[in-house]
Amino acid sequence: MTLVKEAPARPAKKRSAAPAAGRRGRRRENIAGYLFMSPWIAGFLVLTAGPMIASLYYAFTRYNLFTPPEWVGLDNFQTMFQDPRWQKSVEVTLKYVVVATPLKLLLALGVALLLAQKRSGQGLYRAAFYMPSLIGASVSVGFVWRALFSDDAIVDRTQKIFGVDVGGWIGNPDYVIYALVALSIWQFGAPMVIFLAGLKQVPQELYEAAEMDGAGPLRRFWNITLPMISPVLFFNVLLESIHAFQVFGSAYVVSNTQCGPADATLVYTCYLYQKGFKEAQMGFASAMAWTLVVAVALVTAVLFWSQKKWVHYEEAAK
Amino acid sequence: MGTSRNVERRTILKVAGGAAATLGLATTTACGGDSGSGDGNVTLRYAWWGGEPRTIAMKKAIAVFEKKYPKIKIKPEFTDYAAFWEKFQTQASGGNPPDVFQNAVGFLRKYDKRGVLMDLKSQADSGNLDLKNFRNGVLANGQVDGKQLGIPVGANTMALVIDLNAFKKAGVEAKMGWTWDEYFDALQTIQDKLKIAGDTGYFSIMYLYDLYLRQNGKAFFTDSDLGFTEDDLTQWWSDGYKRVKAGLVADPKKIEQVQPKSGLSAGLAAGEFTWDNFSIRYEGEGESDYGLAPIPTTNGKDTGQYLGSLMLSAFSGSKHPKEAAQFISFMVHDPEVGKIMGYDRGILSTTEQYDAFVPTDDQNKGVKAYEEEVAKAGVLGKITPHPSGADVVETAFLRIGGEVAQGKTKPADAAKALFSEAKAAFAG
Repeated sequence: MTLVKEAPARPAKKRSAAPAAGRRGRRRENIAGYLFMSPWIAGFLVLTAGPMIASLYYAFTRYNLFTPPEWVGLDNFQTMFQDPRWQKSVEVTLKYVVVATPLKLLLALGVALLLAQKRSGQGLYRAAFYMPSLIGASVSVGFVWRALFSDDAIVDRTQKIFGVDVGGWIGNPDYVIYALVALSIWQFGAPMVIFLAGLKQVPQELYEAAEMDGAGPLRRFWNITLPMISPVLFFNVLLESIHAFQVFGSAYVVSNTQCGPADATLVYTCYLYQKGFKEAQMGFASAMAWTLVVAVALVTAVLFWSQKKWVHYEEAAK
Repeated sequence: MGTSRNVERRTILKVAGGAAATLGLATTTACGGDSGSGDGNVTLRYAWWGGEPRTIAMKKAIAVFEKKYPKIKIKPEFTDYAAFWEKFQTQASGGNPPDVFQNAVGFLRKYDKRGVLMDLKSQADSGNLDLKNFRNGVLANGQVDGKQLGIPVGANTMALVIDLNAFKKAGVEAKMGWTWDEYFDALQTIQDKLKIAGDTGYFSIMYLYDLYLRQNGKAFFTDSDLGFTEDDLTQWWSDGYKRVKAGLVADPKKIEQVQPKSGLSAGLAAGEFTWDNFSIRYEGEGESDYGLAPIPTTNGKDTGQYLGSLMLSAFSGSKHPKEAAQFISFMVHDPEVGKIMGYDRGILSTTEQYDAFVPTDDQNKGVKAYEEEVAKAGVLGKITPHPSGADVVETAFLRIGGEVAQGKTKPADAAKALFSEAKAAFAG
């Protein structure tokens, strides 16, 4: 409620000359605004902020859900860093992020370049390519993926035509992670749409000028398109890496809820889930969650720092 | 703004009302656990895990109960095994578990320690629950430290399910009292003659390793720890891995991919160790004929077998302990319920239900004949304790055994990992 009192006070200070009636109207408007927002604010406090603060506390306790949490200081973090399965989950997740994110963005950009051209029926194509992103998060797609990449299924048979015989990816600890990568790439729709919007913003006269100077398509892409859409590219890289760090559903379903075989799909959140909900080690799981938050924040910070070197904003050019 | 003051005030009131309603809704859902009502009727929540056939049968059995006890209503909740325990754990920690629920020996101590399970002895003393007529002393399976925490609904024992056609074609006979050496020779013969593996992966099944240990005077669990050494397990897993390499045990990659179907019904191997009442699933899943074979032994006699069982437990904080006990008593004793449930959860545990259900199909007849044969052979021993955390150890055993089979972890490292995970599980 302090928010409601303070908020109108600020503009009042700035515009002390404003008539009293206007001030009252503004205050009433603010109150209405906060009231409209209150379900959301209540939801945020109860469902997001509260649990987050609680989990930060649990991260420093031993907590099995039944007996009251017992303060253990940094024990959970110490156990975590020494736990071979935790190390494995970090390894699997990094592998997934490093392989899946660039491939997905590459495909998204490639398709966006094709769809940006003026052709008949482009709307239909755009919808068709975006479609997998809409259903990609569903559990049923995980099952379909399992069926596609199993032994003697379509992927396996197609490979055999080319003389490659690995006997299905799902049961093979060396390959199963790539089935997840493929699933992620398949859902390239969202970054594609963002690229498409970015491409539309590139001024045509730049291309025309370049063409007059004799620049070929590759050169135009490299020297005009890429720099011009670099803010969009940066946005996509950021968003997709954060998403990739949090991958859970596909790994859980494709591995038949086991995050295996042989922990090959033990992505970070999968292990977190196992620790929290299967083994009832909520303290450990909370410690894992906060470590992930810090790690993602660091990656984001590094990306923001690096953007100075490769992202071109128009204001900077002026 | 063109709106009048009055209208604006009303709008604000409406919005405020809406927000209050949202918050009010949240509070009512939070305490939705109350199940009693003013007219003397009682509603019990009853949860179990299992497939669709069990759910259909269970609903029929519930209908029989509700007819005889018109004042008690049963609200069913069901999921598969893994989801069941995740959900149960969350519900129980929130103080809102079902009044009556299916349980197993691996969870008794865990939830007793957390104060979730009702000691049903007091209910038996006050006449709400009948503890008589249990077969083969199976009632003891639900006892921990002098408390009766679960009432067995059925009894089952480990068995070797075999593809009858494959065994016949290979000319191998599975006989009572055969030794492990004879069993592994049989796997070799099957591989030589039929070019398929003989076993789907025996060495990652915790309950089978328990039998092997019992044959050798040990057991998987003691009251609070593991009952074997790292060296024992290293040996068990090294031998297992060797047999995967030799093709006697099916390729784990393929077993993984046919899940949730079993490797046996998918035709990847000629045999699989499991609980005898599970054998009913194979006929439906696979294309061959399946039968039950005896557990191999160390000395030609003792199989280490015992009767395990699924049971019904009640929540210690249930508001209707009397009705919960009446419901459990009815479900384990009523002959009509016995007829409806059959051997889905093992051979019926009370004489009333056992006598009432006469199997007519080959699979159920087979399960009955198998258990009678095992009981007659006099090999049945008492169940060994399962400490708190046994469920976590079982999952770890299966997973780490799978890593060994895949060649991803060396048996010695795997054994070490299991011991370290078990230690954490027992402490939790």
